[in-house]
Amino acid sequence: MSLAKYLALDKVATFFNIIRQNGGIRASLFKLYRQDELKDGVLVGEDKYGNKYFENPRYFYGRNRWVEYSPDYHMNYDGSQVSAEWFGWLHYKTDLPPQQDPGRPKYPWMAEFTENLSGTTGQYTPYSTTRPKVEAWEPKAKA
Amino acid sequence: MSLAKIFSVSSRVRASGASSLVVRHAQYSTPAQEGKTEKVYPPTSPGYKYVNAEDPNMTMKALTDRAAQTLFWTELARGFAVTLAHIFKEPATINYPFEKGPLSPRFRGEHALRRYPSGEERCIACKLCEAICPAQAITIEAEERKDGSRRTTRYDIDMTKCIYCGFCQEACPVDAIVEGPNFEFSTETHEELLYNKEKLLSNGDKWESEIASNIRADHLYR
Repeated sequence: MSLAKYLALDKVATFFNIIRQNGGIRASLFKLYRQDELKDGVLVGEDKYGNKYFENPRYFYGRNRWVEYSPDYHMNYDGSQVSAEWFGWLHYKTDLPPQQDPGRPKYPWMAEFTENLSGTTGQYTPYSTTRPKVEAWEPKAKA
Repeated sequence: MSLAKIFSVSSRVRASGASSLVVRHAQYSTPAQEGKTEKVYPPTSPGYKYVNAEDPNMTMKALTDRAAQTLFWTELARGFAVTLAHIFKEPATINYPFEKGPLSPRFRGEHALRRYPSGEERCIACKLCEAICPAQAITIEAEERKDGSRRTTRYDIDMTKCIYCGFCQEACPVDAIVEGPNFEFSTETHEELLYNKEKLLSNGDKWESEIASNIRADHLYR
Protein backbone atom coordinates (compact mmCIF):
# COMPACT_ATOMS: atom_id res chain seq x y z
CA MET A 1 0.00 0.00 0.00
CA SER A 2 1.39 3.34 -1.03
CA LEU A 3 1.84 6.08 1.52
CA ALA A 4 -0.73 8.33 -0.14
CA LYS A 5 -3.30 5.59 0.13
CA TYR A 6 -2.30 4.82 3.71
CA LEU A 7 -2.92 8.43 4.66
CA ALA A 8 -6.27 8.32 2.72
CA LEU A 9 -5.07 11.04 0.34
CA ASP A 10 -6.89 9.28 -2.53
CA LYS A 11 -10.12 9.88 -0.66
CA VAL A 12 -9.28 13.58 -0.46
CA ALA A 13 -8.58 13.57 -4.20
CA THR A 14 -11.96 11.88 -4.80
CA PHE A 15 -13.64 14.54 -2.69
CA PHE A 16 -12.19 17.38 -4.75
CA ASN A 17 -12.96 15.49 -7.93
CA ILE A 18 -16.62 15.20 -6.89
CA ILE A 19 -16.80 18.94 -6.15
CA ARG A 20 -15.27 19.72 -9.54
CA GLN A 21 -17.56 17.35 -11.45
CA ASN A 22 -20.64 18.83 -9.83
CA GLY A 23 -19.71 22.33 -10.95
CA GLY A 24 -17.92 24.06 -8.10
CA ILE A 25 -18.72 24.74 -4.47
CA ARG A 26 -21.98 26.66 -4.95
CA ALA A 27 -23.43 24.13 -7.39
CA SER A 28 -22.30 21.28 -5.18
CA LEU A 29 -23.98 22.77 -2.14
CA PHE A 30 -27.21 23.20 -4.11
CA LYS A 31 -27.04 19.61 -5.35
CA LEU A 32 -26.40 18.40 -1.83
CA TYR A 33 -29.45 20.35 -0.68
CA ARG A 34 -31.61 19.02 -3.50
CA GLN A 35 -30.44 15.41 -3.66
CA ASP A 36 -29.02 14.81 -0.15
CA GLU A 37 -25.98 13.29 -1.76
CA LEU A 38 -23.03 14.25 -3.92
CA LYS A 39 -21.60 11.66 -6.26
CA ASP A 40 -19.27 11.48 -9.21
CA GLY A 41 -20.08 9.42 -12.24
CA VAL A 42 -20.27 9.02 -15.97
CA LEU A 43 -23.24 10.55 -17.79
CA VAL A 44 -24.86 7.59 -19.54
CA GLY A 45 -27.69 9.48 -21.17
CA GLU A 46 -30.50 11.92 -20.90
CA ASP A 47 -34.19 11.41 -21.59
CA LYS A 48 -36.29 13.95 -23.41
CA TYR A 49 -37.66 15.40 -20.19
CA GLY A 50 -34.18 16.52 -19.12
CA ASN A 51 -33.50 13.82 -16.52
CA LYS A 52 -29.86 12.77 -16.57
CA TYR A 53 -28.73 9.24 -15.86
CA PHE A 54 -25.35 8.50 -14.30
CA GLU A 55 -23.31 5.46 -13.49
CA ASN A 56 -20.23 4.81 -11.37
CA PRO A 57 -19.32 1.21 -10.52
CA ARG A 58 -17.17 2.37 -7.60
CA TYR A 59 -20.37 2.51 -5.57
CA PHE A 60 -21.94 -0.80 -4.67
CA TYR A 61 -24.75 -2.44 -6.62
CA GLY A 62 -27.97 -0.59 -6.00
CA ARG A 63 -26.17 2.73 -5.68
CA ASN A 64 -24.07 2.63 -8.83
CA ARG A 65 -26.81 3.99 -11.12
CA TRP A 66 -28.78 7.09 -10.39
CA VAL A 67 -30.90 9.77 -11.97
CA GLU A 68 -30.64 13.50 -11.59
CA TYR A 69 -34.08 14.90 -12.21
CA SER A 70 -34.41 17.80 -14.61
CA PRO A 71 -33.77 21.21 -13.02
CA ASP A 72 -37.26 22.18 -14.24
CA TYR A 73 -38.74 20.09 -11.45
CA HIS A 74 -36.65 21.92 -8.84
CA MET A 75 -37.68 20.37 -5.51
CA ASN A 76 -40.81 18.73 -6.95
CA TYR A 77 -38.96 15.69 -8.21
CA ASP A 78 -40.68 12.33 -7.87
CA GLY A 79 -39.76 8.71 -8.44
CA SER A 80 -42.43 8.39 -11.15
CA GLN A 81 -40.70 10.98 -13.36
CA VAL A 82 -38.25 8.38 -14.67
CA SER A 83 -39.46 7.73 -18.21
CA ALA A 84 -40.46 4.23 -19.33
CA GLU A 85 -37.45 3.89 -21.66
CA TRP A 86 -34.97 4.43 -18.83
CA PHE A 87 -36.93 2.55 -16.19
CA GLY A 88 -35.33 -0.81 -16.95
CA TRP A 89 -31.80 0.55 -16.96
CA LEU A 90 -32.24 2.40 -13.69
CA HIS A 91 -33.74 -0.72 -12.10
CA TYR A 92 -30.82 -2.93 -13.23
CA LYS A 93 -33.02 -5.00 -15.55
CA THR A 94 -30.76 -4.31 -18.50
CA ASP A 95 -27.29 -2.90 -19.00
CA LEU A 96 -28.29 -1.34 -22.31
CA PRO A 97 -29.35 2.29 -22.15
CA PRO A 98 -32.37 2.81 -24.43
CA GLN A 99 -30.45 4.59 -27.19
CA GLN A 100 -28.29 1.46 -27.60
CA ASP A 101 -31.12 -1.05 -27.26
CA PRO A 102 -32.39 -2.05 -30.71
CA GLY A 103 -35.20 -4.23 -29.33
CA ARG A 104 -37.20 -1.44 -27.76
CA PRO A 105 -40.36 -0.85 -29.82
CA LYS A 106 -41.23 2.60 -31.09
CA TYR A 107 -44.78 2.53 -32.38
CA PRO A 108 -46.58 5.64 -33.51
CA TRP A 109 -49.44 4.95 -31.09
CA MET A 110 -47.20 4.96 -28.05
CA ALA A 111 -48.16 7.76 -25.70
CA GLU A 112 -46.15 10.51 -24.10
CA PHE A 113 -44.85 9.54 -20.69
CA THR A 114 -46.38 11.28 -17.73
CA GLU A 115 -45.47 11.25 -14.09
CA ASN A 116 -47.96 10.14 -11.44
CA LEU A 117 -50.50 12.94 -11.66
CA SER A 118 -52.40 12.13 -8.49
CA GLY A 119 -53.29 15.26 -6.55
CA THR A 120 -53.05 17.52 -9.57
CA THR A 121 -55.67 18.75 -12.05
CA GLY A 122 -54.45 16.10 -14.49
CA GLN A 123 -55.34 13.21 -12.21
CA TYR A 124 -57.39 10.28 -13.41
CA THR A 125 -61.03 10.21 -12.36
CA PRO A 126 -62.95 7.01 -12.96
CA TYR A 127 -65.97 7.00 -15.21
CA SER A 128 -68.12 4.34 -16.78
CA THR A 129 -67.22 3.34 -20.31
CA THR A 130 -70.68 1.88 -20.98
CA ARG A 131 -74.18 3.22 -21.18
CA PRO A 132 -76.10 2.61 -17.92
CA LYS A 133 -78.40 -0.41 -18.16
CA VAL A 134 -81.00 0.99 -15.83
CA GLU A 135 -82.28 4.42 -16.59
CA ALA A 136 -84.16 6.44 -14.05
CA TRP A 137 -87.75 7.16 -14.77
CA GLU A 138 -88.39 10.74 -15.62
CA PRO A 139 -92.04 11.51 -15.26
CA LYS A 140 -93.39 13.65 -18.03
CA ALA A 141 -95.76 16.29 -16.97
CA LYS A 142 -99.09 16.21 -18.78
CA ALA A 143 -99.61 19.23 -20.87
CA MET B 1 -0.43 -4.18 25.33
CA SER B 2 0.32 -3.49 21.70
CA LEU B 3 -0.60 -0.21 20.02
CA ALA B 4 -2.47 -2.08 17.35
CA LYS B 5 -4.84 -3.39 19.97
CA ILE B 6 -5.42 -0.01 21.59
CA PHE B 7 -6.25 1.79 18.36
CA SER B 8 -7.92 -0.99 16.44
CA VAL B 9 -11.33 0.21 15.29
CA SER B 10 -12.72 -2.94 13.83
CA SER B 11 -12.42 -6.63 14.27
CA ARG B 12 -10.92 -6.87 10.80
CA VAL B 13 -7.96 -4.69 11.77
CA ARG B 14 -7.47 -6.63 14.96
CA ALA B 15 -7.54 -9.96 13.18
CA SER B 16 -4.79 -8.96 10.77
CA GLY B 17 -2.69 -6.71 12.98
CA ALA B 18 -2.67 -8.60 16.22
CA SER B 19 -3.32 -12.20 15.34
CA SER B 20 -1.14 -13.36 18.21
CA LEU B 21 -3.88 -12.28 20.61
CA VAL B 22 -6.50 -14.66 19.18
CA VAL B 23 -7.55 -17.19 21.77
CA ARG B 24 -7.21 -20.76 20.62
CA HIS B 25 -9.77 -23.24 21.83
CA ALA B 26 -7.11 -25.92 21.72
CA GLN B 27 -5.82 -24.43 24.94
CA TYR B 28 -8.51 -26.35 26.77
CA SER B 29 -6.18 -29.33 26.92
CA THR B 30 -3.04 -28.09 28.57
CA PRO B 31 0.25 -29.96 28.04
CA ALA B 32 0.14 -31.20 31.64
CA GLN B 33 -2.96 -33.32 30.95
CA GLU B 34 -1.61 -34.80 27.75
CA GLY B 35 -0.93 -38.19 29.30
CA LYS B 36 -4.57 -38.79 30.18
CA THR B 37 -7.17 -39.78 27.57
CA GLU B 38 -9.56 -37.14 28.79
CA LYS B 39 -12.37 -36.04 26.53
CA VAL B 40 -11.93 -32.43 25.54
CA TYR B 41 -14.56 -30.09 24.33
CA PRO B 42 -14.39 -28.84 21.69
CA PRO B 43 -12.69 -31.83 20.09
CA THR B 44 -9.24 -31.15 18.68
CA SER B 45 -9.64 -33.48 15.71
CA PRO B 46 -8.72 -31.99 12.33
CA GLY B 47 -11.66 -30.88 10.23
CA TYR B 48 -13.64 -29.91 13.28
CA LYS B 49 -14.35 -26.20 13.41
CA TYR B 50 -15.63 -24.62 16.58
CA VAL B 51 -17.90 -21.76 15.61
CA ASN B 52 -19.27 -20.58 18.94
CA ALA B 53 -17.95 -17.68 20.95
CA GLU B 54 -14.60 -18.40 22.56
CA ASP B 55 -14.29 -18.39 26.30
CA PRO B 56 -12.10 -15.51 27.50
CA ASN B 57 -8.52 -16.30 28.36
CA MET B 58 -8.28 -16.50 32.16
CA THR B 59 -4.53 -16.29 32.67
CA MET B 60 -3.36 -13.58 35.00
CA LYS B 61 -1.81 -11.57 32.19
CA ALA B 62 -4.97 -11.60 30.07
CA LEU B 63 -7.12 -10.73 33.07
CA THR B 64 -5.02 -7.74 34.01
CA ASP B 65 -4.84 -6.62 30.39
CA ARG B 66 -8.63 -6.62 30.17
CA ALA B 67 -8.96 -4.82 33.46
CA ALA B 68 -6.43 -2.22 32.34
CA GLN B 69 -8.32 -1.64 29.12
CA THR B 70 -11.49 -0.96 31.02
CA LEU B 71 -9.72 1.08 33.65
CA PHE B 72 -7.87 3.34 31.25
CA TRP B 73 -10.94 3.90 29.10
CA THR B 74 -9.38 2.75 25.87
CA GLU B 75 -12.67 1.07 25.17
CA LEU B 76 -14.38 4.43 25.25
CA ALA B 77 -11.89 5.87 22.79
CA ARG B 78 -12.20 2.83 20.57
CA GLY B 79 -15.97 3.17 20.64
CA PHE B 80 -15.72 6.75 19.44
CA ALA B 81 -13.29 5.59 16.79
CA VAL B 82 -15.90 3.13 15.48
CA THR B 83 -18.45 5.93 15.36
CA LEU B 84 -16.02 8.16 13.50
CA ALA B 85 -15.18 5.40 11.05
CA HIS B 86 -18.85 4.85 10.26
CA ILE B 87 -19.33 8.52 9.37
CA PHE B 88 -16.97 8.02 6.42
CA LYS B 89 -18.33 4.64 5.42
CA GLU B 90 -20.53 4.24 2.36
CA PRO B 91 -24.10 3.92 3.60
CA ALA B 92 -25.88 0.61 3.16
CA THR B 93 -29.13 2.30 2.11
CA ILE B 94 -30.10 3.73 -1.27
CA ASN B 95 -31.12 7.33 -1.85
CA TYR B 96 -34.54 6.43 -3.24
CA PRO B 97 -35.94 8.82 -5.76
CA PHE B 98 -32.46 9.10 -7.33
CA GLU B 99 -31.21 5.57 -6.89
CA LYS B 100 -33.56 2.64 -7.23
CA GLY B 101 -33.34 -0.98 -6.27
CA PRO B 102 -33.00 -3.84 -8.72
CA LEU B 103 -36.23 -5.15 -10.24
CA SER B 104 -37.05 -8.38 -12.08
CA PRO B 105 -38.58 -8.42 -15.57
CA ARG B 106 -41.28 -10.56 -13.94
CA PHE B 107 -42.15 -7.84 -11.47
CA ARG B 108 -45.91 -7.50 -11.11
CA GLY B 109 -46.85 -3.86 -10.79
CA GLU B 110 -49.53 -1.62 -12.21
CA HIS B 111 -51.81 -3.22 -14.79
CA ALA B 112 -51.90 -2.24 -18.42
CA LEU B 113 -53.81 -3.27 -21.52
CA ARG B 114 -51.55 -3.75 -24.51
CA ARG B 115 -52.04 -3.20 -28.22
CA TYR B 116 -50.82 -5.01 -31.29
CA PRO B 117 -48.03 -3.25 -33.23
CA SER B 118 -50.72 -1.99 -35.58
CA GLY B 119 -52.36 -0.12 -32.73
CA GLU B 120 -55.35 -2.46 -32.48
CA GLU B 121 -56.19 -3.34 -28.89
CA ARG B 122 -55.43 -6.92 -28.00
CA CYS B 123 -58.20 -7.70 -25.55
CA ILE B 124 -60.93 -9.86 -27.08
CA ALA B 125 -63.12 -9.97 -23.96
CA CYS B 126 -62.71 -13.71 -23.36
CA LYS B 127 -63.10 -12.97 -19.63
CA LEU B 128 -60.53 -15.56 -18.55
CA CYS B 129 -58.82 -12.96 -16.35
CA GLU B 130 -62.15 -12.04 -14.81
CA ALA B 131 -62.81 -15.72 -14.09
CA ILE B 132 -59.44 -16.48 -12.57
CA CYS B 133 -59.07 -13.32 -10.51
CA PRO B 134 -59.04 -14.55 -6.89
CA ALA B 135 -59.95 -11.13 -5.55
CA GLN B 136 -62.67 -10.62 -8.17
CA ALA B 137 -61.23 -7.23 -8.93
CA ILE B 138 -61.92 -7.35 -12.68
CA THR B 139 -65.23 -6.49 -14.32
CA ILE B 140 -65.69 -6.99 -18.04
CA GLU B 141 -68.55 -6.27 -20.37
CA ALA B 142 -68.34 -7.10 -24.05
CA GLU B 143 -70.14 -6.08 -27.19
CA GLU B 144 -69.71 -6.54 -30.88
CA ARG B 145 -67.90 -3.65 -32.45
CA LYS B 146 -69.08 -2.03 -35.65
CA ASP B 147 -66.57 -4.00 -37.74
CA GLY B 148 -67.89 -7.23 -36.24
CA SER B 149 -64.99 -7.99 -33.87
CA ARG B 150 -65.57 -8.83 -30.25
CA ARG B 151 -64.22 -6.17 -27.90
CA THR B 152 -64.79 -5.00 -24.36
CA THR B 153 -66.93 -2.02 -23.63
CA ARG B 154 -66.04 -2.12 -19.96
CA TYR B 155 -62.77 -3.33 -18.50
CA ASP B 156 -62.58 -2.19 -14.90
CA ILE B 157 -59.98 -3.21 -12.35
CA ASP B 158 -60.38 -2.21 -8.75
CA MET B 159 -56.73 -1.75 -7.86
CA THR B 160 -57.61 -1.68 -4.18
CA LYS B 161 -59.03 -5.20 -4.45
CA CYS B 162 -56.20 -6.53 -6.58
CA ILE B 163 -53.65 -8.68 -4.78
CA TYR B 164 -51.09 -8.51 -7.63
CA CYS B 165 -50.92 -12.29 -8.01
CA GLY B 166 -50.42 -12.08 -11.77
CA PHE B 167 -53.01 -14.75 -12.60
CA CYS B 168 -54.71 -12.38 -15.05
CA GLN B 169 -51.64 -12.00 -17.24
CA GLU B 170 -51.03 -15.74 -17.09
CA ALA B 171 -54.62 -16.48 -18.09
CA CYS B 172 -54.64 -14.03 -20.96
CA PRO B 173 -54.39 -15.86 -24.32
CA VAL B 174 -53.42 -12.74 -26.29
CA ASP B 175 -51.03 -11.03 -23.83
CA ALA B 176 -53.47 -8.16 -23.50
CA ILE B 177 -53.65 -7.64 -19.76
CA VAL B 178 -50.21 -7.46 -18.20
CA GLU B 179 -48.88 -6.32 -14.89
CA GLY B 180 -46.40 -3.69 -15.92
CA PRO B 181 -43.18 -2.68 -14.19
CA ASN B 182 -44.57 0.49 -12.61
CA PHE B 183 -45.02 0.53 -8.84
CA GLU B 184 -45.11 4.30 -8.40
CA PHE B 185 -48.84 4.77 -8.93
CA SER B 186 -49.94 5.63 -5.42
CA THR B 187 -52.82 8.07 -5.32
CA GLU B 188 -54.29 10.56 -2.92
CA THR B 189 -57.84 9.26 -3.16
CA HIS B 190 -59.44 5.84 -3.35
CA GLU B 191 -61.43 6.52 -6.51
CA GLU B 192 -58.31 7.17 -8.56
CA LEU B 193 -57.46 3.50 -8.14
CA LEU B 194 -60.70 2.29 -9.71
CA TYR B 195 -59.21 1.90 -13.19
CA ASN B 196 -61.39 1.72 -16.27
CA LYS B 197 -60.54 0.57 -19.77
CA GLU B 198 -59.28 3.95 -20.96
CA LYS B 199 -56.87 4.23 -18.05
CA LEU B 200 -55.55 0.72 -18.58
CA LEU B 201 -55.06 1.30 -22.29
CA SER B 202 -53.27 4.59 -21.67
CA ASN B 203 -51.03 2.77 -19.18
CA GLY B 204 -50.19 0.31 -21.92
CA ASP B 205 -49.43 3.11 -24.39
CA LYS B 206 -47.21 4.82 -21.83
CA TRP B 207 -45.28 1.75 -20.73
CA GLU B 208 -45.17 -0.33 -23.93
CA SER B 209 -41.42 0.19 -24.34
CA GLU B 210 -40.72 -1.35 -20.94
CA ILE B 211 -43.48 -3.99 -21.06
CA ALA B 212 -42.26 -5.32 -24.42
CA SER B 213 -38.66 -5.39 -23.15
CA ASN B 214 -39.73 -7.34 -20.06
CA ILE B 215 -41.64 -9.90 -22.12
CA ARG B 216 -38.68 -10.33 -24.45
CA ALA B 217 -36.28 -10.70 -21.52
CA ASP B 218 -38.43 -13.46 -20.08
CA HIS B 219 -39.62 -15.19 -23.25
CA LEU B 220 -37.35 -18.21 -22.83
CA TYR B 221 -38.96 -19.09 -19.52
CA ARG B 222 -42.58 -18.86 -20.60
